Amino acid sequence: MSNSRTRTSRRNFLLAVGAGGAATVAAIGAKTLPQAEKSDAKKEPQGSGYRVSEHIRNYYRTTLV
Amino acid sequence: MTGEATPHAAPVEVAPEDQARAEFYALLGRLWYAAPDQVLLDAIANAPPLTAEGAHGALAEAWRQLQAAAAAADPAAVADEYDAVLVGVGKAEVTPYVSHYLVETGRERVLVALRDEMAELGLGRVGATHEPEDHFAALCEVMRHLVGEGAGDAAMQQQKNFFTRYMNRAYNPLTDQVTASSKTSFYKHVARFTKAFCDVEAASLDML
Repeated sequence: MSNSRTRTSRRNFLLAVGAGGAATVAAIGAKTLPQAEKSDAKKEPQGSGYRVSEHIRNYYRTTLV
Repeated sequence: MTGEATPHAAPVEVAPEDQARAEFYALLGRLWYAAPDQVLLDAIANAPPLTAEGAHGALAEAWRQLQAAAAAADPAAVADEYDAVLVGVGKAEVTPYVSHYLVETGRERVLVALRDEMAELGLGRVGATHEPEDHFAALCEVMRHLVGEGAGDAAMQQQKNFFTRYMNRAYNPLTDQVTASSKTSFYKHVARFTKAFCDVEAASLDML
């Protein structure tokens, strides 16, 4: 089992479908995607954002299993 | 935080293609978490195209259509359609909570397993967050986090396991329902792009 061969074919696949170039979505990310602090006053634990807006939160309070 | 420089462990090396995946997950997490505002719509519309080779054009095409939809979208209308379909009053027309797609009954068991798994990864809900963790947006955030952990064998396996357990069987019904809804317009394109991206993820993680 060649790990590096697996990696190469995976990388080639990602490049072929257009998902390998970091530029496209990175161009959106920095400016517009929520940063950790943005939607909740508290710090998120290391990048694990689970952020939900208030209306969803209220909605789910009423339907919790 | 005192602003004092704390010595960081050397940043994990993330290959460009994995960086791109993390960015896609961040974008999808954002779009499924709430409707985009004008700034985000503009950013999507003005972002570079994806370039694909030959027959592998599904993702690039879905991206192109999402960009066109973003250029034409009115944020208030998009917010209305998001609320109408994915939040709803009483019961959402399409639930973004994946356990509904994974099991017929015993949804709590999926949640418990997911919670345990997230706890093992050092992840969890924050502050006043009360809702279940199986929101599709939250899963995208977990994947983004895992991709950022590097591409070592164990890290890749973890990504594969998480995707397989919680996203792989859920993304098709979720995105199909959003696409089929008579109330969606912009979110049809979000759904199609999500599906195309998850197809790529499923195929590429399957190579491991």
